Order: sequence, then C-alpha cells, then structure tokens
Amino acid sequence: MHADVVVVGGGVIGNAAAFYCARAGMSVILVEQQDILNGTSSACDTAIHLQSKSPGVHLAMALNSIKKYPVLQKEFDIDIHFKITGTMLAIQREEQLEVMKSFAARQQAAGLNVSLLDTVQTIAKQPAMKGAELVGSTYCDQDATIHPQNLTKAYYFGAMKYGAKYLLHTVIRSFRIEDNCLTGVDTDQGMISCRWVVNAGGVFAPFIGKMMGLDIPIVPRRGQILVTEPVPKLTNTIVNCAKYIAAKFRPDLLGNSVEDQLGIGLSLTQTERGNLLLGGTREFVGYNTKTTRQAMVLIARHGTAIIPALKQINIIRSFAGLRPYTPDSLPIISTVPELKGLVVAAGHEGDGLALSAVTGEMVSEIIAGQPVSSGIDLSQLSLARFSREDIDRFYRKYAVA
Amino acid sequence: MKAEDLQEEIIICRCQEVTKAEVQQAIGQGCRSLKGIKNRTEAMMGLCQGRTCRRLIERMLAPYQQQAPVTPSYRPPVRTLSLHTLAEAKEDGEDAC
Ligand SMILES: Cc1cc2nc3c(=O)[nH]c(=O)nc-3n(C[C@H](O)[C@H](O)[C@H](O)COP(=O)(O)OP(=O)(O)OC[C@H]3O[C@@H](n4cnc5c(N)ncnc54)[C@H](O)[C@@H]3O)c2cc1C
Ligand code: FES
Repeated sequence: MHADVVVVGGGVIGNAAAFYCARAGMSVILVEQQDILNGTSSACDTAIHLQSKSPGVHLAMALNSIKKYPVLQKEFDIDIHFKITGTMLAIQREEQLEVMKSFAARQQAAGLNVSLLDTVQTIAKQPAMKGAELVGSTYCDQDATIHPQNLTKAYYFGAMKYGAKYLLHTVIRSFRIEDNCLTGVDTDQGMISCRWVVNAGGVFAPFIGKMMGLDIPIVPRRGQILVTEPVPKLTNTIVNCAKYIAAKFRPDLLGNSVEDQLGIGLSLTQTERGNLLLGGTREFVGYNTKTTRQAMVLIARHGTAIIPALKQINIIRSFAGLRPYTPDSLPIISTVPELKGLVVAAGHEGDGLALSAVTGEMVSEIIAGQPVSSGIDLSQLSLARFSREDIDRFYRKYAVA
Repeated sequence: MKAEDLQEEIIICRCQEVTKAEVQQAIGQGCRSLKGIKNRTEAMMGLCQGRTCRRLIERMLAPYQQQAPVTPSYRPPVRTLSLHTLAEAKEDGEDAC
C-alpha cells in the first residue's frame, strides 16, 4: 500500500485532516485502532464556542473555524446541525463580576460581540434561570452548536468522496524511519509506505509519539456529563458559568472545596432531539472514563442552582470523555525538525470540535508546503514551544499513580 | 417493494427509530463494534438505553466479529431520576443512582 499521507486516529481531528488533505488532491489512508469516533470525539458536548476561548491564537483559530462550518454544511452530505445559538455565561457572585468584566473586555477587543447583562436582562433572555441567585451574566451572540458525531462522520464521508481510504480495527506495529525521515507505517493489515504521517491520536498521541521516539506532552482531563430525557425547548443558548471559565483556564485560582477540585463548572446545551447535556467536570484521573456518583450529584446541584427549571427533568444517562490537555491548553499542530514527514495534530483539550476545521486546513497546508491561509502563528502551536523541563514538570504534576 | 426490502425497513431501535438497513450499512462500512454502531446510527441511545435493541444489534454484528464482542459498560443511572432528586442526594451514599 502507498499513500501521500497516513493519518493515525479516527476522531474529529484525524477525520478533518483526512478530509482537507484528500480534498487538496493528496492520497490519504486513515488508520484507526477501533472504529471512527472511538475516542473523545464521541464523548463530548456540542459547543462551537468563542466565548470560552482566551484572546490570542486560541480565539483567532476559533473565529476562523466557526466561519467554515456553514460553508462546509453546504458541501457535506450529512447534516451537522450547525446552529448559531449564542452563549450565556452566568455570574453567581459579586467577586466573579470583575474577573468576568475584564475577560469580556479582552474578548471585545479581539472582535467578539460580548455584552454584560444584569439579572433582569439575564432572566428575560433565559427564563429557565428564574429563581436562581445571580448577579448577572455575559452574553455573546456568535457562539454555535453542532452535532459532534455528525461532524466527524461528515469529514469521514467527505474524505472518502475525495478518495481517502480507511483502515479500521487496524493495529500499528511500528513506524519506518530512514535517515530521520518517516517513510512508512507497518500495520497488521500490511505495510503502508508514505511521505507524511499525521499523529491525530488525541489523548493517545503520546503513545504514538513514543513509537517514534518523541515526547508529546498531553494528559487526559476527564469531563463528566449528564444526559436528560428529551424535553421541549428549555434553552435558546449555550449556558456556562464564571466558574467554568476559571476551571478551564485558571485552575490555580480555584479553592480547595470538593467542587473546585473536581473542576465543576456549568455547561448546558440542548440537542435537536431535545436532550439536555448538563456538565461538567475537569479532572486529572489518568485514562479512567468512568462516571462517579460524587461528580453526578455535584453537577446536578450546581446546574439546578443556576437553572432551577432543570429540577423536574429526568436524566437517562451519564458519560465521561477525556480532553487531550497540553501544558498551555493550546493544541499542538506541528512538524518536528528531528523527524521529517511528521505532523502532530493533537491536544485540543475541550475545543476539538470548534477547532477541527481550521486544524484540518492547517495540516493540509503544512503538508503541501504552503503558508497557512488562516494566518495563525504556527510557532505558538509548535511542539518545540515546550522545553525538556516543561515536559518533565508537566508529567510530574499530572502523573497518576 | 419486495419482501426483503420490507425486512430491511424493520425498526431495530424503537426509541431512536433506527432501521435494520441502517445498522447493516454501518457494518458494510467496516464497523465491527457496538460502540461504533451507536456512534454511527444513534441506536441504543434512546430512553431505554439499548435495553430493547442491544441484543438484536449484537446478533447482527456477531458473524463479523473475530474475537468475542466487547460489552460496553452500563453507566448510571440504572433508572431515570430527576435532577432535583440527584442534587439532593448524598455525594457518597448508596441511594438514588
Ligand atoms: C466532556 C467533554 C466535553 C467536550 N465538549 C466540547 C465542546 O462542546 N466543543 C468542543 O469543541 N470540544 C469539546 N470537547 C473536546 C473535544 O471532544 C476534543 O477536543 C476532541 O474530541 C479531540 O479529538 P481528537 O480527534 O484529537 O481525539 P479522539 O476523538 O480521541 O480521537 C483519537 C483517535 O485515535 C485513535 N488512536 C489512538 N491511538 C491509536 C493507534 N495507535 N492507532 C490507531 N488509532 C489510534 C483512537 O482510537 C481515537 O479514535 C469536549 C471534551 C469532553 C471530554
Ligand atoms: S430501543 Fe434502542 S435505545 Fe431503546
């Protein structure tokens, strides 16, 4: 077998990379150890979120990506349910107000329509919050939701339309490296000779890296979510809270309570079928994808405190996924000077859906040797931005016994 | 419509209205696991959480699986429960979920 590009990993990132590369005319084989959607991309929420991105390269990538989905929707054969819904970030306490004001001001400066609402305006926009103890909210009308599995499937079917081949349930035995150059992938389905390999292994990217002698600093950050029965429209927007933002970006600012240690922060979205997804946690527990009673109770408590209308609604299921977390929360989209023919595209933490389109496009442009059309500064996403010490410190901090 | 076509239109997952043909199509695309069928068709994700349809789907997959199938884990709650009840529950108790 031969391909210009072998993509390793059939999540949203691997499929987006396969889609953009195949569309650009490259021959592509995607290798996945199970079926597509085996990892985090099927255990996540539905947000294409701008308000939860920190101003800078993170927000710039999200802004670029969100413009692509309505265009892709027209090209895809399946409905990805892309819908602009806006996000409301609930602020529960006076002391959170200042932090959120300055976060919003920096986002406004970066081009986001974020406004500050008082309690009355908040409840007028989000009647399900009636009766909650709030001091207000910030609101952004640009955020959107998407169907996560359908997004991955749309890239998958799209890639195949452009000729990409898929080796599912396939085990990679080793990578062939000649003169510091990746030239092939040896699998239990045979050897694939290739010019490029894309490591899109999500939380497993470090293991794929090890097989090539590379250290890739990514650890799993678990998120637990409750799923309710389908109900009539309860929310017009995505709802998060100030604590969610703190848990995501400044875990160091969180206190010692159990809630804070589990990284409890509100996320609420509603699917087209009417199910509510209520989250969530941000926990470092290694590769454990179980849901825990403690987290479920605390998610329900936190969620019903901000959105009292949730109280009478039944949950039918819970799930947990592992966000691929890097030392600075930014993904690694990078070539590696010491190993030609490799592109790493992993570590998207809680933003892989939102950033998938721009990531896929960048991967194909890097491989084609073109400048990236999004204008994103690739040095900020490079593997080389982490020093040996950064990587060691990171693994020491998050090593799970 | 031929008798076999009608057969294919049989709903295999009632909660999510997934047909036998849709499951067969996923298998045709290389899917070999229950988790894959779930992700590709949304079967087993309805109110009954696969209690009614899982066995039937397992039976459709069986001829294609070389090894013994991996049984997906059941997740709490065992029964549906309201968010209020859950919020009032003890964090470490045995009741409710
Ligand atoms: C609770 C939760 C909520 C989230 N909500 C959102 C949200 O609202 N919006 C958003 O944008 N993002 C969200 N995310 C983040 C998003 O889900 C991830 O960033 C994204 O799914 C990562 O995709 P990936 O393709 O990198 O990884 P994965 O989906 O994990 O894919 C990696 C694939 O690689 C395969 N693989 C690994 N090793 C090998 C190997 N050796 N050989 C072959 N294949 C291999 C795996 O089987 C897997 O299928 C959320 C995450 C969680 C956990
Ligand atoms: S019949 Fe399939 S989930 Fe209920």
